[in-house]
Amino acid sequence: MKYIFINIWRVMKRELHMMFARPLYMFASVGVMLLSTFFFLTLMRGGTAEKMPVAVVDLDQTTISRRLIHEMQATPSVDIQLVTNSYPEARIAMQSGKIYGILVIREGFYSDLVDFKRPQLDFYVTNAYTVGGNTAYKQLLTMANLTSGAFQREVLRKKGLPDDIIMHRIQPLAVEGHMVANPWGNYSVYLVSTILPGILGLICLMLTIFAVGFELKMRTSHAWLQAAGGNYTVAMIGKLIPYTLIYIILGVGCHVILYHFAGFPVYGSHARLMFGLLLFIFAMEALGITLIGLLPTLRDALSIGALYSMLGFSLSGFTYPQMSMLAPIKALTYLEPLRHYYLLYVNEALMAGPIQNTIHCMLALVAFMLVSLLVSPRLHSALVNQNYPLK
Amino acid sequence: MVNGKIANEIRRIFRDPGVVVIFIVATLAYPLLYKAIYWNEQITNVPVAVVDLSNSPQSRAFLHKWNAAPDICLTHTCTSMAEAEQLLRDQNVHGIIYFPRDFAAQLADPLGQAHISLYCDMSSFLYMKAIYLSCNQVMLEQMRNIQIDRYEQMGMGEEFAWALVQDAPYHEIALFTPTGGYGSFLIPAVLMLILHQTLFFGICMLGGTAREENMDQYSLESLLARAAAYFVIYFGLSVIVLGLYPRLFDIPHVGAIDDILLLIVPYLLAIIFFSLCVSVFIRNRESGLVLLISSSLIFLFMAGISWPKEMIPDAWWYIACCIPYTHGAHAFIHINSMGASLLHTNHFTASAMPEWIALWIQTGAYFLFACLLFFFRKRQGNKAAKQ
Repeated sequence: MKYIFINIWRVMKRELHMMFARPLYMFASVGVMLLSTFFFLTLMRGGTAEKMPVAVVDLDQTTISRRLIHEMQATPSVDIQLVTNSYPEARIAMQSGKIYGILVIREGFYSDLVDFKRPQLDFYVTNAYTVGGNTAYKQLLTMANLTSGAFQREVLRKKGLPDDIIMHRIQPLAVEGHMVANPWGNYSVYLVSTILPGILGLICLMLTIFAVGFELKMRTSHAWLQAAGGNYTVAMIGKLIPYTLIYIILGVGCHVILYHFAGFPVYGSHARLMFGLLLFIFAMEALGITLIGLLPTLRDALSIGALYSMLGFSLSGFTYPQMSMLAPIKALTYLEPLRHYYLLYVNEALMAGPIQNTIHCMLALVAFMLVSLLVSPRLHSALVNQNYPLK
Repeated sequence: MVNGKIANEIRRIFRDPGVVVIFIVATLAYPLLYKAIYWNEQITNVPVAVVDLSNSPQSRAFLHKWNAAPDICLTHTCTSMAEAEQLLRDQNVHGIIYFPRDFAAQLADPLGQAHISLYCDMSSFLYMKAIYLSCNQVMLEQMRNIQIDRYEQMGMGEEFAWALVQDAPYHEIALFTPTGGYGSFLIPAVLMLILHQTLFFGICMLGGTAREENMDQYSLESLLARAAAYFVIYFGLSVIVLGLYPRLFDIPHVGAIDDILLLIVPYLLAIIFFSLCVSVFIRNRESGLVLLISSSLIFLFMAGISWPKEMIPDAWWYIACCIPYTHGAHAFIHINSMGASLLHTNHFTASAMPEWIALWIQTGAYFLFACLLFFFRKRQGNKAAKQ
């Protein structure tokens, strides 16, 4: 038993030596994680898209249409970039990505309005940029309702009604929206909470493949096994401990930065969320072992690992929900550890659900670890025989 | 001489299975996988729970109308909020609609204001969009009917009441991808990203390999030969991915094919010289992929496509402008999804020229930069050889 610990220590020392001899390990783990955290936390300026540039096409060219535009320009939530009397000009601005929506005031707007003929306003919104288009659409709605409400209020005031009653007349029915667990509708909270752990997982997977595969590539696996006294399990444990420690530090750091410093909400249990993140890290490491075990050529395993894990961001279903995917794709989502981590995050951070709701996520992540044990015989023989091509 | 070198480089690529996986297999298969993931485009029938304490004909009429919207599906009827919250917590529903007890009474009162509460699951923004927008539409419609009733009670004529309620009705038209699907929006951007990143990783891999094998790779001739080899292979791949796939698999494709071909040229050249610059710093064939894999996400978000560019801090945006993907993706979306053009511009069609020129500037700048880096590397190599 004592020898096992001594051997593990020996492998660890060897690994630490290799790790500090090449700047790659620290760059690819700590460096990339710091950069990504900084990038995603500073990218979204407050996290809500509010003012998207729109255009107004004034085909009416009357005092009232101009007054309308003037009022819209004064509205703080609206950003009118272009006022023109030519629809093609607005369309060109949209096609070149300068604006996301167009409001058209038709010819005869003023005369129809005074005749109570209900002239029509036209909205054009781009769907080629989703967030920009949606935000512009909301703005255009505000602009149209502004027009309508102002007109009603004027007529009712002339009829001598007091303002509070007018308010209820104008809006006899109101919907109060509640955005559960993200009351600000903050896009950053929603996006970064899954993307950053996802990037950490990516690092764990790629670096684990690299750490093991590099021994195969450089034909140093015999020295490695020798340091471990010929014991495969000892060799693996000794090698993975230093990396795992780095990943745990990064994981805890990521949690602290997101949920303490950046103030992202956690309505449930911090402990379980962090535990879930650690399980996810281990699952990604295990997936790395599985891949290098199945494909004991470093570059093949890395290429496949990269392709496999990049899909996780889409398959986790945090942008486009899993419920809307085709059945075979739905099945694929379970093969991505990020999917299970995302479900765990939703339950722990947003829904504050009981542990029964996430136990299956945790078990799934543990399953990835167990699967990696299945490739041990194959990986062990690859380390001993070095019978795979170098590149 | 250069011809022979180009052929050599192409041979080197095809003899390297790792590069073939990245260059050919990933480039051709990945777009199809993404298309399959976003196949349904829209999210429909988002399950919603109902808590109707008013239990009135008015609330039922509202629910009836809302349930007809394809976006949502009223799956559960609950007697209390606690019950509905439980369903939301267990993710059996992604929204709750709540009618208070006095809902009908407030509507009947000519001075009253009735309230509906709507709770949305924020675990995906698309749930919120589906629930909010469809509910809002029903709400506006119902609200107008109530207003008309109230004004008629005040003795106004119906026509006047309508004019009062909605003096200027609006009509909305979604441009470019009429379905408004998530895939239609994202896939064009992803196609460009796949070309960018596979070429980027592949070149870094090949650069690392050449350095491991101590090949003489830092001559101007070798720079040009390599660039030409990558360009030839990727031009073919780009035509398939950007030209053929959208037409085969129902991805938006309103742009003209000659515009797209014209766009591909500077896009590929800019990526190639950009990647050659980066590859100078890569020591091993594998380290590039390990180090740079996260760049795919950073490039995608920095380009201002899923998150609008107007909302990106200036410092990040300036950096983004140095990445070929940023200009390439916007130009491709403008041409392919929105109908802008390079060759066929007129008074009704925008020109994608600014992005196209930006790509040429990048090509030139990265080419010069690569020459410089190669020159220093070569001198370094010669020094090392002398010692």
